[in-house]
Amino acid sequence: MKNVHTSTPSAIMVGQEKSRRSFLKSITTMFGGAVVGSMLTGNAISIAMAYVPKGDSVLADGKIFNQAQLMLLKQICAIVIPKTETLGAAEVDTHGFIDNQLYHCHTKAEQEKAIAVLTLINQTAEKYSSTLFMKLNADQQFQLLTELDLGEKRFNQTQRQAFKMLKQLICFGYYTSQVGATQELRYDPVPGGFKGSIPYKNTVPTWSTRGLFN
Amino acid sequence: MTEQVYINKTSEVYDAIVIGSGISGGWAAKEFCERGHKTLMIERGRVVEHRKDYIGENTPMWQQEHRGRVENILVDQQYNIQKQCYAFGNTTKHFFGNDRDLPYTTKEGTEFSWIRANQLGGKSLLWHRQTYRLGEYDFNANKLDGYGNDWPIRTKDIEKWYSHVETHAGISGAKANLPNLPDSEFLPPFEMTAPEIELQAKFAKLYPERPMIMGRTAHLTQPTELHISQGRVQCQARNECHAGCSYGAYFSTQSSTLPAAAKTGNLHIAPNSVVHSLIYDEITNRVKGVRVIDNDDLSEREYFAKVVFVCASTIGSTQILMNSISKKFPNGIANSSGVLGHYLMDHNYNSRASGDIDGFEDEYYSGRRPSGIMIPNFYYKPDPKRGFLRGYALAGGAYREGWDSQQHHDGLGVEYKNKMKQAGKWRFGLSAQGEMLPRFENQMRLHPTLKDKWGIPQIEFDVRFSENEKLMMEDAAQQSINMLKAAGLKNVSGGVKHGPPGLAIHELGTARMGRDPKTSVLNGFNQSHDIPNLFVTDGASFCSSAVQNPSLTFMALTARAVDYAVKELAAKRI
Repeated sequence: MKNVHTSTPSAIMVGQEKSRRSFLKSITTMFGGAVVGSMLTGNAISIAMAYVPKGDSVLADGKIFNQAQLMLLKQICAIVIPKTETLGAAEVDTHGFIDNQLYHCHTKAEQEKAIAVLTLINQTAEKYSSTLFMKLNADQQFQLLTELDLGEKRFNQTQRQAFKMLKQLICFGYYTSQVGATQELRYDPVPGGFKGSIPYKNTVPTWSTRGLFN
Repeated sequence: MTEQVYINKTSEVYDAIVIGSGISGGWAAKEFCERGHKTLMIERGRVVEHRKDYIGENTPMWQQEHRGRVENILVDQQYNIQKQCYAFGNTTKHFFGNDRDLPYTTKEGTEFSWIRANQLGGKSLLWHRQTYRLGEYDFNANKLDGYGNDWPIRTKDIEKWYSHVETHAGISGAKANLPNLPDSEFLPPFEMTAPEIELQAKFAKLYPERPMIMGRTAHLTQPTELHISQGRVQCQARNECHAGCSYGAYFSTQSSTLPAAAKTGNLHIAPNSVVHSLIYDEITNRVKGVRVIDNDDLSEREYFAKVVFVCASTIGSTQILMNSISKKFPNGIANSSGVLGHYLMDHNYNSRASGDIDGFEDEYYSGRRPSGIMIPNFYYKPDPKRGFLRGYALAGGAYREGWDSQQHHDGLGVEYKNKMKQAGKWRFGLSAQGEMLPRFENQMRLHPTLKDKWGIPQIEFDVRFSENEKLMMEDAAQQSINMLKAAGLKNVSGGVKHGPPGLAIHELGTARMGRDPKTSVLNGFNQSHDIPNLFVTDGASFCSSAVQNPSLTFMALTARAVDYAVKELAAKRI
């Protein structure tokens, strides 16, 4: 098995330290340095075990997907959650994450279903446009995935449900990534208490987590 | 905690042995120690130190292996049962028992999901912290319809002990003065959201007999001087409680009872000590101590005391009693009645309903509230027209949809991404927690041949939800749907789901209290009818399940039993 945990981009490390730091800082404020000292001797879960986004996931076969499938998935990520003022799903290596996540945490049936959706997307492009999905223009790609997302025209409801699973993985991968959770949405590691009513405008990002239960 | 607290071999005869370190065991140890009694707490699992061993705490999703999910191979091989618990995940999995090492069986055609937490602190680390007193209607329930035996206690016997444990533990909630659900000693309640406040008012008009209250929960919303002196501070509303809380903001053995017990200098803890059985002296008719198998190297040792409190969890405690065989008690110690292992209960959580709330687009919340709202059991008075016995409470809450709900919506691209960025519509749901009747047929027993790696017979469960529980859940689903529709919610849906017994993780009964030694194991002070220096104070002692989350009652029964035992020891009656 390839080791996917080797690269540790410095930006990610900074973010991880920042989140941990805000927690330890609040513990220090409340209990003093000795308590934090005792915590640091503990065996905290190694953050090195987390999936670290890579810039080069599409340069080789993954654990579930081959290289061509990874390139296709990267393009689908870019279409579902594109780059705006924040990075999109492709830029944060959601495709690489999905490959890793499917391998480790999903059933064989789900893995096969994910591969089958990619195959279906290419087959449909070939059938109607005589070319691979990647060779379609941006509008054609968006149109094809929109039909699949709705289960309309060239697609049926079963195919739609299979795509929804893949889309859900894209959303999960993106919004639980550091960029998705802290830049696109809002993340507060230590809220300090619960307020039941605060004013809201829809120009403000939603909270990215419900605690342990996302 | 100082190193000297932990012991392995000792010849000391303690005043008290407490088997288990969860909610009940922690309270037993604290109360004995504070009364000057040398106490040995025996824990089958490893030591978990407050703060230091909360290894999953405050790790954001992107720092967690598999973003909080657990590896397939690990789940399949070691956590196939535990994974069914909603709180099982990457940051909590080390607090769950390992199914591979802790096998059990179920009788063919039945199912039971047994969730375990075998470490110092037990399930007090993993509990959901909802805390409710039992009331007079609950203590009377068995007597009124004849299912189960009559509780030997009433509210007057236990209310001062509820107050005692609540003041120490810290319970948030609002006084409601309800006939069916006594108030506790409260810290301020968590706030309701704006739609919840509106729904509370609507329900008050539409269903005056079904008031909606803020969930009562063992969190320090506003710590007292006592809590601060214990090293506990205000809840930070992270809602990551099951990973452990370094703020000590929720009640656990580690945050609350253990420091108090250790402070007295009277506490020893024997970790990694799996209790095989109790040592019984037939001549004096007393339990002398316990036989222990080492959790790691399987070596044997014994501990001795004047009085033994079994607080090893409902199933764990009864397993120990059943495996303590002597000439006088061939079917398990303290089992002259023959009811040991019977009348096993859980709660039934198999109904739910939810819907959309219009409006409130300019309303949101901050922080992650570790609690919800509660509609206490409104069927607390028996009514033959209802079609089933007993009742249920409804628990729930309102929230705005986030990416985790909206990811299922249609759409792609910039427009989709921008929609996901905004807080979605408000949703509100209700799920039932139904009472399970005490029935003789629902039982646990020792397997005739299968043993675990410590040589202890495995448990075989024979438990079913009866027709009564099924009818109750159908009613709960229908009533919930009706209530949500009546309150004006849209797209209301709901129904009954299939969940096996065990998953409410409220195992109760199997060594029930009672006035009659012929039909019960324990008397009204959780003391064995048969053996005066043997007590069981956890959920095993319950006569009925009521609908309330039971942990607060474990605490109160335990504190009360220690008070009684100490007086009996002083009077040389035990």
